[in-house]
Amino acid sequence: MESASNHHSQAPSLATEEPVPSSSVHASSSSLYRAPIAWFYRLTIEQRVLAGFSLVFVGILIVSVVSYSHMKILLANRGLDGRSQELIQLLNNIDVAMSEAEDTHRRYLVTGEASYLEAYKQVVKQKPTFNESLNDLIRESPEHQQRAGLLDRMMDRQLNAESKAIAKFQEGGFRAVKKMAFEGAGKRELGVIHKIIGEMDLHERQAVSRRVVESSAGTKTTIVLLGIGALLQLVLLAWVYYLIRHDITERRRVAGELQRRGELLESANKELEAFSYSVSHDLRAPLRHIDGYAALLRKAVEQSLNDKAARYLQTISDSAKQMGQLIDDLLVFSRMGRQEMLHTTVNLDQLIKNILSDLRLDLQGREISWTIAALPEVQGDPAMLRQVFMNLIANAVKFTSTRPIATIEIGVEHPSSTEIVLFVRDNGVGFDMQYAPKLFGVFQRLHRVDEFEGTGIGLANVRRIIHRHGGRTWAEGVPDKGATFYVLLPTRRRDS
Amino acid sequence: MTAVKPILLAEDNPRDAELALAAMEAEHISDKVVLCHDGAEVLDYLYCRGQFKSRLKGNPAVVFLDLKMPKVNGLEVLRTIKTDVNLRPIPVVMLTSSREERDLAESYALGANAYVVKPVEFHKFLSAVKELGTFWGVINEPPPENCRSTH
Repeated sequence: MESASNHHSQAPSLATEEPVPSSSVHASSSSLYRAPIAWFYRLTIEQRVLAGFSLVFVGILIVSVVSYSHMKILLANRGLDGRSQELIQLLNNIDVAMSEAEDTHRRYLVTGEASYLEAYKQVVKQKPTFNESLNDLIRESPEHQQRAGLLDRMMDRQLNAESKAIAKFQEGGFRAVKKMAFEGAGKRELGVIHKIIGEMDLHERQAVSRRVVESSAGTKTTIVLLGIGALLQLVLLAWVYYLIRHDITERRRVAGELQRRGELLESANKELEAFSYSVSHDLRAPLRHIDGYAALLRKAVEQSLNDKAARYLQTISDSAKQMGQLIDDLLVFSRMGRQEMLHTTVNLDQLIKNILSDLRLDLQGREISWTIAALPEVQGDPAMLRQVFMNLIANAVKFTSTRPIATIEIGVEHPSSTEIVLFVRDNGVGFDMQYAPKLFGVFQRLHRVDEFEGTGIGLANVRRIIHRHGGRTWAEGVPDKGATFYVLLPTRRRDS
Repeated sequence: MTAVKPILLAEDNPRDAELALAAMEAEHISDKVVLCHDGAEVLDYLYCRGQFKSRLKGNPAVVFLDLKMPKVNGLEVLRTIKTDVNLRPIPVVMLTSSREERDLAESYALGANAYVVKPVEFHKFLSAVKELGTFWGVINEPPPENCRSTH
């Protein structure tokens, strides 16, 4: 996965590095256009999928908010419509009642029939209820309130005038009110009332139709928006699906490739093992024969052997021995790469103590001043780490053999929570830093065989072991002053 | 001490055999050595068959066994010896070029009595063979012949 995303991230940057023979304006606009794409390609698959899902989520959120607000408007309009219907109905009732008041009071004035007076009084009794209901319905409309105030006054005036006329009729009989009886006491007010109610009715009906238009337009917009949102979300989800599917396919391919390589590696390892097994067996035999027959030959011709011939025979023997040593070292080196590694806690103090006690025969007749710091415990394979420090200490002892007093220091540098650096420092012959890269190579030697013995495999082993522990090795040296070999070990276990 | 008990040396390489014999000659025990050139011959000897049909009865004092041999290899011979109640008491010393851990482990698992890596240097080889021959052929008391009747 990581390699795949790296691959993607490199593609656009390579493209921008291509020389584009165009005007600077063009170049800048294209780079502006490319920047977000480059940014996008730098994202990991997880981030891309997350971005996709976030966009879908935002889309759903927007659509929800829009639908909700539209729903709210629709509901509010429905409430308003209900109120409007009530208002229109009420206005109609008032209109009818006022007309009836006019009608009944005139009939009473003409006939003096008590039932007409009763009907009139019914209207007068209703009037405050009308007023109350009206004020309740138009609470939020100042325009209506103004008209309602006028309406209220007009109604009062009409009813007052009519009441006065009735009172006059009861005092003076029909004659006193004859004129009023024909014309109507509140005729003028009633006309105004009709007009006001007509206006209010029209106004309310207009408001209703306005709301109908508004609602249907809003509904249309919302439907279109919902459609677009759904489409966009579908596209986004399809894209996310594609991303995930693509990634899974890629992962499957990589896993298959890894498995194939693992199998190849395993078979190669098996071959290598068979090879080194056969080396171990078959390559040693001829060497043994060379040395053996040289010895037998020496014995057979002992009497007539001159110094020169004796030296030749010795050289044959020495060469065979040397080759035997080389084979042994190579086998150890090769085994070191294949061997199963243990992961336990290794007490370095104890390890160094044991090594020094094993080396005591080599240390006889040498004057060495040791400085050994308190060493920590590390995680690793005890046998392998023992070989590392055995090699480093034996080297220090070997390359200080020309010093009257050798000083060898073993210590720790910069211990941190994640890694630890150990070093072995000596005041021996040292080395030129330009050869430092060669130091840890297989069969690399910086000294002639007659200066210091050895096959040149020790440091290669050191490096291989430390690499298998997930660490690093390096060295610093000054010719004829001494050398320091560093070993960095991670403090946390890492599977090799 | 039964002086006639032979030392069985299994060695397919004639040079190695010659060198081993030369080493034992110096200790005057070479005349006790019976040389087999492969694993099949060792088994023929132990079971008194083939070319060893008419040999004197009795087990050898010790078997020096090379690992890598034609026909039947050293580990197979070792397995046969250690699974046969009559042969099991015979001391078997693996004498081989291999220092491979799995060879060591397998040999001891099968019941080898000793495991000696042939040194490249002749004088070390010489002293190793001398010591082995002297110890197993002369100093060590071999198991009594009647111990097979415990079966």
